Amino acid sequence: MKQQGKDLGLCLCTVCRQLNGSDDSHCSRCGSELHVRDYSSLQKSWALLITAAILLVPANLYPITVLTNQGKVRHDTIFSGIIHLVQSDMFPIAIIVFIASILVPWVKIIGLATYLCAISFNLPISKKKLMVGFHIIEWIGRWSMLDLFVISLTVALVNMGQLLDAKPAPAATAFALVILLTQLAAKVLDTRLLWDRLENQDDTN
Amino acid sequence: MHENTAENSVILCRSCDLAIRKRALPTGVRALCPRCNTALYDTPYCSVNGMLALCITALVFYFPANFFPVLEIHFLGSIRTTTVFQGAFAVFDQGYWVVGIAVLAAAVVGPGLLILSILIQLLIVKWGLDSPLGRHSLKQLLKFQGLLSQLTMLEIYVISFLVSSFQLSDFSDIYFGMGTFCFTMLFLVTLFLQREYDIEHMWGLLMQERH
Repeated sequence: MKQQGKDLGLCLCTVCRQLNGSDDSHCSRCGSELHVRDYSSLQKSWALLITAAILLVPANLYPITVLTNQGKVRHDTIFSGIIHLVQSDMFPIAIIVFIASILVPWVKIIGLATYLCAISFNLPISKKKLMVGFHIIEWIGRWSMLDLFVISLTVALVNMGQLLDAKPAPAATAFALVILLTQLAAKVLDTRLLWDRLENQDDTN
Repeated sequence: MHENTAENSVILCRSCDLAIRKRALPTGVRALCPRCNTALYDTPYCSVNGMLALCITALVFYFPANFFPVLEIHFLGSIRTTTVFQGAFAVFDQGYWVVGIAVLAAAVVGPGLLILSILIQLLIVKWGLDSPLGRHSLKQLLKFQGLLSQLTMLEIYVISFLVSSFQLSDFSDIYFGMGTFCFTMLFLVTLFLQREYDIEHMWGLLMQERH
């Protein structure tokens, strides 16, 4: 049985996952609107993703924290913060921060872009691999929040004027928006589209 | 696959729309989509009273977790502390309200609403399923459940305690406060609560008594 719900005249509610007929306009269980396929989700997802990609540049280039230590002011970008952690022999922490604040956002944006390209331009990439990638992206996406939590704790804790003081810097907002927009881009997308579009050319799944 | 049997025995994968015949599963096993590996369903082991106990425990830990100091810094003889709540407001004060809202939503508001929402759902399931108001509220709460569980990022916050304490140990002595313990307990209790909770089962409870 390799039939899709669309061919059987069935449609899954995206809110509560109740099975409905594809002629119904609203879900019989939760009353949400039903769409057999949401083609507009592709556009929305692209828009969110492109905005996130643009914001990723200031998030990485601008300083994310300003640290004053005994009168000396140090501006740290995400990357220089990690370098600093490595230099002060905190390798495991540096790896955690690197994964959460650099690897995850980049992998997410590149991964989602590949995924959206595959749907939009019918690229012959294995659907199975794309879907595995998508599940990973969905799962790791939240971990970028780590950096924001650390910033908020540090800022609240370390405020002693010229002696020792930490403040957030512009990249923090950009970084927060990158996380928000990429999460939304993944959430908004109707992944069922992938499994329709490639079917014509490549039937190997 | 005809219409009369289709209703109960077929489910669709939410990621790839593949039609799959639904079968009974042994406990602790999860059904995955054969085509795209999305988790489809598992056997619900929802016990309403068990979840209620977990909910109340979570609420007990919730307030100290957010309002007791989580980190203490001992610097040149002075002791400074911070709570989860103050952390969010400190960035807010600096004018970074986007960051402040993100932290507040993911660490304070999200988990709080999640626990409260599950608590109200359980109370309705126990006592309010006969009233139309109860049914209506349960339906609305179930619709928002997905969003709330995505907003909750307790596990990431727990890791961030460790990261911040290591980062700051460069400058001075850092100690964990009572809030850290409560927050970690809140995380563990919520973890078990979310494992126990099964949205499909809750929808079932809402629907079954109508007939």
